[in-house]
Amino acid sequence: MGDSAHPITVTVNGERHERTVLGRQLLVHLLRDALALKGTHIGCDSGNCGACTVVCDGQAIKSCMMLAVQADGRAIETVEGLSGPLEPPDPLQAAFTRHHALQCGYCTPGMLMAARTLLAENPRPTQDEVRRAIKGNVCRCTGYVNIVRAIQDAAGTLE
Amino acid sequence: MLLPAFEYARPESVDEALAELGRHRNARVLAGGQTLLNALKLRVVQPDVLVDVSRLEELRGIHAGGDGGLRIGAAVTYDELAGSPLVREHHPATAAMSARLVDRQVRARGTIGGNVCLADPTSNFPPLLVALGASLSVRGPDGSRDVAAEDFFVAPYLTAVRPGELLVEVRLPPLASGERVGYESLQLGTDSWALARASALVRCNGAIEHARVVLGCGPVPVRQPAMEAALRGRAATTEAVEAAAELAGEDFEPPTDVHASSEYRHAMGKVMAARAVLAATREER
Repeated sequence: MGDSAHPITVTVNGERHERTVLGRQLLVHLLRDALALKGTHIGCDSGNCGACTVVCDGQAIKSCMMLAVQADGRAIETVEGLSGPLEPPDPLQAAFTRHHALQCGYCTPGMLMAARTLLAENPRPTQDEVRRAIKGNVCRCTGYVNIVRAIQDAAGTLE
Repeated sequence: MLLPAFEYARPESVDEALAELGRHRNARVLAGGQTLLNALKLRVVQPDVLVDVSRLEELRGIHAGGDGGLRIGAAVTYDELAGSPLVREHHPATAAMSARLVDRQVRARGTIGGNVCLADPTSNFPPLLVALGASLSVRGPDGSRDVAAEDFFVAPYLTAVRPGELLVEVRLPPLASGERVGYESLQLGTDSWALARASALVRCNGAIEHARVVLGCGPVPVRQPAMEAALRGRAATTEAVEAAAELAGEDFEPPTDVHASSEYRHAMGKVMAARAVLAATREER
């Protein structure tokens, strides 16, 4: 028994891609290697750290915990979808900058995408709701206070 | 990490999924994948074929019977359980528990069927389903059979689902008038595995008329008949419930590991049992 190959169609940051993927290929590898979107990071590769968080059909998911073939027909949004290199930053990105919500920056793309789904569901979250929303995202610099502030600022709920 | 080589199959129906499972001796069912993908990475499992049931409409529904009982498809995610108006109305404790599981990314993908078929001794759902008196509908090449939650969990990571079979539905009986559900768990931190867990279904009309108490984190979830009998007819006071919980721990054999000794988990099982019963008597609807 060996590999199987599957044609898939996936929309990433609004752009439709047709690719053939191996059954065993992880979504994060499709994004980083096949589509050259390196903004999605691989941290633990075991579903614990959330660095690889992307948005799939409006929900935050860990892209190391989903097969690429399972993204067939889905719409994926990565950190590159928030703003282009020559565009002004997305309000969440701008808030992260203002609040020094990144130190090494490794967790930032995952934090941004988790926060994005939170604000889409709940535009004015309390601090407790923000903290719960990023429970699946680990910051190895332990800079959580500024991250929570930045998300609340972007939502207009920072006191 | 590269996963081991396997064939991926996405059947269009439960019948097709069963045919795939029947064709390959070494096949695995993929639902949300929130444990299975890690098990593949670690080479704990090396299936020839992965049968993806996560999109099967037949497994994706939540239906209420006229009596308030619920039929929950095996591929319903934690998010869908938490957000379902039917679950929130008829089984509010189950919805509330689902809303707090792990983290939002896992809740978006993880499924109730995957959870119970993994049969991780530290999971939330197994003791809860036993306390609720749930039954699980399993389909195989020869048709369907219903397995009581109490009989479903056979050993750690082993269930009554046999090779070639598929869990299709989890059925929650309606809560009777006055029946409430409580669950409590002891964790070292918010993200750690539970050391001890308890779920309780209690019918209380002034005094406790009936209680079903289940301990989790042993090899399989276990009912606590001596504690249940001691609760019957008693007022739901902290003193009475804690006294009854002294009798908890029957057939509860949690492991000793780096997190805690078996003795400690056993002692904490009693505390969780008391708290779960008290939570059930005080649950707001």
